[in-house]
Amino acid sequence: MKPVYLKKVKRNDRLASWAISIGGLAIIFCVIFILVLIVEVSLPLFMSPTARQIARVESGFVSSNVQVLAVGMDDYLETAYTIDAGGTIRFINLADGRELEQIRLRPAEADKRLLAVENFGRLNHVLHWDDGSLSVEQVKFSPFYDAADNNRRSIRHTLESRGEFPAVPQQVEQSLARVNDEGRQTRVDLFADGRLEVQQREVTENFLGEEEVTESSEILELNGAGQLSALVLNDSGTQLYAGTATGELLHWSLEESGEANLVDHLQAFADQRRITALSMVFGDVSLAVGDERGQVSTWFGVRGDSSGKRTLTRIHQLTGHAAPVDKLSHSLRDKTVLSRSGDGLHLDYMTSERFLLGFNPPGGISRYALTARGDGLVALGENGDLLSWRLFIPHPEISLKTLFGKVWYEGYDQPEYVWQSSAASDDYEPKLSLTPLIFGSLKGTFYAMLFAVPLAIFGAIYTSQFARPKLRGMIKPAIEIMAAVPTVIIGFLAALWLAPLIESSLGSVFLSLVLLPAALMLCILLWQAARKLEPLKQVERGYEFLAVIPIIIGAVALASTLGPGLEQWLFAGDLKQWLFSELGTRYDPRNCIIIAFAMGFAVIPIIFTIAEDSLSNVPNSLKAASLALGASRWQTVWRVILPSASPGIFAGTMIGFGRAVGETMIVLMATGNTAIMDLSIFNGMRPLSANIAVEIPEAPVDGSLYRVLFLSAVILFILTFIVNTVAEIVRQRLRAKYGRF
Amino acid sequence: MFNRTPKEMNKYWRVGEPMVWLSGAALSLTLLSAAILLLVIMVSGLGVFWPSPLQQLELKDGSLLVGMQTQVEETADHSGMRRQYKIANRDLNGLDFRWIDEAQIVSSSTPADLLVLERAEYGDFFGRLQTLEGKPASLDQLRQALHQVETARAGLSELDQRLIEISYRGEQLRLKLLKIDYHQVAANEPQRIELSAEKQAEADEFERLVKVQSERLNRIHARTAVFSDANGQQKEIVLADILKVYTPNTMSSADKARFYVAKLWELVSGEPRESNTEGGLFPAIFGTVMLIFVMSLFSFPLGVIAAVYLREYAKEGLLVRIVRIAVNNLAGIPSIVYGIFGLGFFVYGIGHSIDVVFFPERLPTPTFGTGGLLWASLTLALLTVPVVIVSTEEALGAIPREMREGSYALGATKFQTLLRVLLPMASPGIMTGLILAMARAAGEVAPLMITGVVKLAPTLPIDGNFPFLHLDRKFMHLGFHIYDIGFQSPNVEAAKPMVFVTALLLVLIVLLMSSVAIRLRNKMKKRYTFGTF
Repeated sequence: MKPVYLKKVKRNDRLASWAISIGGLAIIFCVIFILVLIVEVSLPLFMSPTARQIARVESGFVSSNVQVLAVGMDDYLETAYTIDAGGTIRFINLADGRELEQIRLRPAEADKRLLAVENFGRLNHVLHWDDGSLSVEQVKFSPFYDAADNNRRSIRHTLESRGEFPAVPQQVEQSLARVNDEGRQTRVDLFADGRLEVQQREVTENFLGEEEVTESSEILELNGAGQLSALVLNDSGTQLYAGTATGELLHWSLEESGEANLVDHLQAFADQRRITALSMVFGDVSLAVGDERGQVSTWFGVRGDSSGKRTLTRIHQLTGHAAPVDKLSHSLRDKTVLSRSGDGLHLDYMTSERFLLGFNPPGGISRYALTARGDGLVALGENGDLLSWRLFIPHPEISLKTLFGKVWYEGYDQPEYVWQSSAASDDYEPKLSLTPLIFGSLKGTFYAMLFAVPLAIFGAIYTSQFARPKLRGMIKPAIEIMAAVPTVIIGFLAALWLAPLIESSLGSVFLSLVLLPAALMLCILLWQAARKLEPLKQVERGYEFLAVIPIIIGAVALASTLGPGLEQWLFAGDLKQWLFSELGTRYDPRNCIIIAFAMGFAVIPIIFTIAEDSLSNVPNSLKAASLALGASRWQTVWRVILPSASPGIFAGTMIGFGRAVGETMIVLMATGNTAIMDLSIFNGMRPLSANIAVEIPEAPVDGSLYRVLFLSAVILFILTFIVNTVAEIVRQRLRAKYGRF
Repeated sequence: MFNRTPKEMNKYWRVGEPMVWLSGAALSLTLLSAAILLLVIMVSGLGVFWPSPLQQLELKDGSLLVGMQTQVEETADHSGMRRQYKIANRDLNGLDFRWIDEAQIVSSSTPADLLVLERAEYGDFFGRLQTLEGKPASLDQLRQALHQVETARAGLSELDQRLIEISYRGEQLRLKLLKIDYHQVAANEPQRIELSAEKQAEADEFERLVKVQSERLNRIHARTAVFSDANGQQKEIVLADILKVYTPNTMSSADKARFYVAKLWELVSGEPRESNTEGGLFPAIFGTVMLIFVMSLFSFPLGVIAAVYLREYAKEGLLVRIVRIAVNNLAGIPSIVYGIFGLGFFVYGIGHSIDVVFFPERLPTPTFGTGGLLWASLTLALLTVPVVIVSTEEALGAIPREMREGSYALGATKFQTLLRVLLPMASPGIMTGLILAMARAAGEVAPLMITGVVKLAPTLPIDGNFPFLHLDRKFMHLGFHIYDIGFQSPNVEAAKPMVFVTALLLVLIVLLMSSVAIRLRNKMKKRYTFGTF
């Protein structure tokens, strides 16, 4: 042979062994890679938020003797503005600190000064003038493409007046005002003498198409409360909350013009601490309360007793400050609460009670504002510097507690585990608790295993030990074919054929659970007596399972004929109604009975095959020795063979469990997919796997829901990984013990 | 036995004969449930296309009802039986099915002149022929007219084909122009002018053809016939909308068998109609086959190589044990996790990167960055690799040692032994693995739902346009078809027959594949058993 040729052959051989080894190891790589990828997608859920300072405009753009009362910024984080006590609004380009424009808010009355500015909604400012009049101005930013400047995007700013409130004669301590989109104007004044007055003006169109103006004014009843120290009005001007210097909270409903109604008055803090700041939380359901001890909590009305009256209750406690809270505000995008105190500005998320970010620049913060999108913060330091930050807060609503613990959501009467990923409005609280889903997965799996494990293991025992070898050669392929039936078909039959069948004959189903074992036992006893006859002795061994078939069919047929009569007699003809009225259990048409049958059907062949393999691989010598010592065939199986094969049976059960936990199509079709936590066998559930299939098509890429769904895939992966790894290790040991499997 | 002493009974239980019977019962229950499943699908699926007689019922309130009986069950108050009839005529009744208490029925007959019309819209029509294009006519004349309409429509199909071609070319031109826009080619470049002119020409041609088509269609649609339902209500139906007309009450068994075969052929070769609840399954079957094919291209080599590594190249040790654990885990990971992995890695990861590099001008409209045949196939390939590995390993393990030793003794290298001796001998086992993997892929739905299956794909993944095989297209799948029409269709009751038929088809395909695979494997086992012991 030519050496060149030999060389080539050897080279090929080496190359091939490299390639094949790499191919083999690729399998490990695949498993690890799948895990790494899904973990990588879900990890950002737990990343801490960050803030990056993007601009700093040195002081000097306002004369130091004019106090700035409010600041704001556009959504592109390019233009900021300040409103000062002189009644001037200045727009500043943050990139270079250049002043873009200066507008006098009331040009005709140059001597008027501003006392305070209050913000609500999207860049709405309530200006409180020194004569007691109020005006509401909205700043609007709109991007446009400047044709003169090579089509570069620029931002145009405009001012829009949304309402005017005339001056009031008395000395006013604090004034609030709201203008809502339907033209309703609400003004609340706290006078120096402690009176609280509400004025409402509503423009409605009557049936003739004429405009009607209704005006009302009234002094609110204080119900003997202490000195008011904080006030807040919701965005539409219909709910008014007040806090007192002695720790009381008051809540008025201003829904009906002129008929203000004190809904709630309670001692919020037993130690009578002063309430120093109030703010609504986005969505106007929760109230954030800050006090002199620096603590921030959120409250909303909860139905405490059967009367249906809601009382304000403390729901969430956010991270506190070291000094009294002096200002609270909220994000316009989610449930983020901003609180400022002597030690800086905090951003906290209400639902998850997560501390998001803290700001305490060297100059302190005197005025601040969050952009409407919630991704930018602008602040004016005590030293007059204007700072802005870009915020990265990708998933504020996610924490281990919201994912796995009980959370008290807005509108609920107690903390609960809830999965509700979407709602009609965009100010809802996303409810992403995985607990009911994990519960659903385990519940479905439990009932399925309850049905499948005994059938599979006993079936395997029979096939491997008692059945005729010839029959065995037919049973095994039959079970393997059963394993090949697509789960989508099992699921669809379970939902469209089995579920209505069981629903209409629930009585018969329960009756056959009793009748079937009873009939079997009876027949076994009868057979015991009959087999004494000589010709019957021949038929016995190895064919029992065929002889049992008519008994099973007979018992089920008997149950289905007797069932309706029994139901009529015991439960007045309607078992489902009886279950509901007597036991308080609701009967869902798609429930755990269906799941037990359907998923059990899918799992049986898996457990059966592995259990059968391990049982038939127990060395024959063991069996022979046991039989020779006089043990019966069942005793041999129970005492000798089963213990030797038990690791294999365990492994099979584990693998079956893993399959049931991750099964998707059956549960998707046959569970009803309601995320409830109820152990009842008559209810459905929503397992992790079906949840992924249902929600992922609608989940925006890289959003919280998307990542939470990946997280639930991680949970499924890890669950099945543990189960499969344990099973495989057990099988490897068994293999080492008994040779090849 | 009843006169036995307690001691004897005690012994009887200890010996455990009843337990043997009980374990036998467990096995029978398992086998019975499998048999019932197959039986239900067979019975419900096979009967769907067999034309059942069209009954005319006279009810107590004097009205008439024409329908096909579908079910009988006891009434809710147990006073008698009630029957469910398919009464069709959805456009007149609003419902396809109606329950009638038997007590309501005065008489029933099967008149010979009752017709069933299969229509392109609103489902079937049950009734009688009144007039054809204004004149009274016989059934034969109706059939003739339908045949003429059919021929006229066939003439239109060529036109349709040309329209499709033109619109495809127009789309290609649009994408080319988009690319030119993206590269900021100036407006006066000859390339752009040429393309724009071409596009304009295509658009003009398209418009002209559409005009011709709609003219001819109008002519065809002008031909109508008037039918009446059971109670004489008249309905004018455009002949072109009638797909098939038959009279079940006068058909002989041979006619019915012929009809049945024709319907079966329509099922496997036709396009779906009426939001998939009627018509054929061709796109779904085609999609399933394409998916299996593309998947096999990936999973087959990887599976065989991994098995060869485990059995022939690796030395027993920790590494091999870890690889085995990995294989088992790969087999045990829930399919929905594969799906979500496919979505995150293939679709949004690789697919999006391909779009950014090769098709930046089309963004944000994704090309590969959305579910498609390729990504679904890759996901399924990962899922089915363990099946191939296990079968191949088993087959390699069954080959007697002597074969290898003989080969080495003759001076062959390991690789030569593998290629020339082992793989050919193991080929039935490898085939088994491949077929089992294909069967698994045919029945798997969950991962496909999120990586590219759709309920109705406008185009097949293969067509006559370059590059002929479009791996980025979305596709239809038999398993998803079942889920979709059974659970997401607006008219579940009317969709039921189609679900059962689809299920039957899928079960037959999967079971056929698996039984072939299992037979192959058992044969191979037998061939080598002498060597192992």
